[in-house]
Amino acid sequence: MEVQSPGSSASFFRKPLPPSAPPPSPGPSGPLALPTGGIRRRLSFHGTGGGLFAIHVVNVLFILLTLGIYYFWGKTRVRRYVFGQTGFEGDRFAYHGTARELLLGFAKAFGVFFLPIVVLTVVRDVLDVDRLIKGAAALLISLLFLMFIPVAMVGARRYRLSRISWRGIRFSFHGRALEFVKIFVAGTLLVGLTFGLYYPFFVTRRQAFMIANSYFGNERFGFDGRGRELFGPFLFNILLTLPTLGLCWFWFAARKRRLFWRHTSFGTARFASGVTGGALLGLWVVNIVLLVVTLGLASPWVRVRNIRFAFRYLDLRGPLDLERIRQQAQYASATGEGLAGFLDTGFDLG
Amino acid sequence: MRIEWEAHYLDGQTAIRHPAAVRLMREGLEVVTAGGWTRLWPYREIRQTQGSYAGEEVRLERGGELPEALVIPDPAFLESLFEAAPQVSARLPGPAGRGRRLRLTVLAGGAVIALTGAFYLWGIPALAALVAPRVPVAWEESLGRAVIDQLAPAAELCVDPRRQPALDAIVARLVAAAPPSPYRFHLLVVNRPAVNALAAPGGYIVVFRGLLERTRTPDELAGVLAHEIEHVLRRHTTRALIQHVSTGLLLAALTGDMTGPLAYGLESARVLGQLQYSRHAEEEADMEGMKLLLAARVAPDGMLAFLDELAKADQPRSVRTYLSTHPSTRDRIARLRALAAAPGPPVPLLPDQDWQDIKRLCPPAAP
Repeated sequence: MEVQSPGSSASFFRKPLPPSAPPPSPGPSGPLALPTGGIRRRLSFHGTGGGLFAIHVVNVLFILLTLGIYYFWGKTRVRRYVFGQTGFEGDRFAYHGTARELLLGFAKAFGVFFLPIVVLTVVRDVLDVDRLIKGAAALLISLLFLMFIPVAMVGARRYRLSRISWRGIRFSFHGRALEFVKIFVAGTLLVGLTFGLYYPFFVTRRQAFMIANSYFGNERFGFDGRGRELFGPFLFNILLTLPTLGLCWFWFAARKRRLFWRHTSFGTARFASGVTGGALLGLWVVNIVLLVVTLGLASPWVRVRNIRFAFRYLDLRGPLDLERIRQQAQYASATGEGLAGFLDTGFDLG
Repeated sequence: MRIEWEAHYLDGQTAIRHPAAVRLMREGLEVVTAGGWTRLWPYREIRQTQGSYAGEEVRLERGGELPEALVIPDPAFLESLFEAAPQVSARLPGPAGRGRRLRLTVLAGGAVIALTGAFYLWGIPALAALVAPRVPVAWEESLGRAVIDQLAPAAELCVDPRRQPALDAIVARLVAAAPPSPYRFHLLVVNRPAVNALAAPGGYIVVFRGLLERTRTPDELAGVLAHEIEHVLRRHTTRALIQHVSTGLLLAALTGDMTGPLAYGLESARVLGQLQYSRHAEEEADMEGMKLLLAARVAPDGMLAFLDELAKADQPRSVRTYLSTHPSTRDRIARLRALAAAPGPPVPLLPDQDWQDIKRLCPPAAP
């Protein structure tokens, strides 16, 4: 049951069960009884919609007063609150990003992507040049757009993970942008060529890249999911789309989440999700109603609802050996040379 | 003031919690871990990173990017800490100040509402009026061409080299009476039964066959054209576009979400496609259009008669659509009539030509 009163430290943390078996006595034969204990660890969220709303109001005021420049500072404040109110095993997470970094990330994206796209659009539409040049410009625009999305995804993930810590240990992301661009572009083309049938494989490959390259300290997350496990449900859902007026996709989304979490591990521990399609649908419907009735003002409460929902259904099972973890921080300053290095430095658009 | 507190210590290199005891000494915090090590944290090097919300644990950090940390579960610790060491370098507002912060937040909320209202009602229109005249004409012409390609594609234009010069002559006479402008006006007739006329930025005026055929004299068309010419001269489309973009950004600021402007951008495209203007812009086009008619010595009765005719009941749907995109016709007629005092005898438009023939510029309609 959720505890809704503001300020109380509502926690979904369940104390671990004591080992059920007594410590094994040394003997000449017989296996050791390992106390796995059935521990389930959960994330807890202590923030409230009201707290987030208060931050939002002040953000809006300063954004208006500074004609938008405060946007990055506001975003950082919100993130600091959301992560600072998330707890695990009795300790809170912490967010270390700064607004200046967001500003720089935005400038980087602007210079590398938006500006060339604008210039090329002008060449394609407005200027009076050779048809061949116009065609080349159009092609470059599509290419830039297609490249931008995966680069932004990788950059954002690298930045955000490197700015989050738990018990002082930072997360990090070691995937390379160019590799993900290949996965993304090839995947998108394949999805198009197969009229969408490749989609479950594509989405699983993306998830594998994102998870398997994420680290907490020096320990990496693991992902062993396969696209073909999702393929059957995907086909089934396509058939059901018309009869259920599309509602069956909530159940697909839940299934996908359960599958992905089931195949995500950290050391000897494994995640598990109990989310159901019905629960997702319920969450979505109430969110929409709240937003419509309040003309969008309820969005901080909706955000908190979403976080609490996600945490309610997710747990980490199995032994968690934190003693082996060592700090391995990754700074967002340039780590490589050339465009690949430039793309690989973490940047977030905000 | 309590001196000793329970805490746990994080060394910044491992994920292990070390249970510890914290003592408030004169020069700093003494940290004694269960394992037996002792550390002294000078007060000036300590910063507080968590503990401003009720029920939150207090977290103190010391060090650079990857600091050591102390977590004290009892928030009452803060009072003792700041009593013992007022010079602790960076601190967060404690839960005690929540009442004041709440009041400030409410104040901020009121300020947001006031600012938003001011921006929307005054700031954005002022900005649009300021920027629109400074937009290069070449840009407006490109925009206009793009709009025309959509609304009046070449395949649907009525091209009649014999009758077109008559219509162009009307435009030329009106433009000659207007103050000099950088625009070159083009009149296009579209072969559709809609009773409508519109102006695209840069000087393109589109008249639909339906409207053309309902005019009884060239003066009536001149009235409509004068209105559209004024839309161009006053750069209403460009202003509307700037206002739309700014309003979209205002929405983004309020919701903290950039998807709003994207949706708003699509909305802008729709508005541009229909070339809808604010009531203010329409009134301005009406007023100035009438003045233009008078300056060109065209009889103003034509415009009034045309609007009168359209305002009658039992009009087909196409007429009602035209009227719905403009302010109330009765009000328009009343206001225009007040202005329609001709300074001298009007000079007839196209005196030697048969208007009934000219207005059949479009080929007989294909169904």
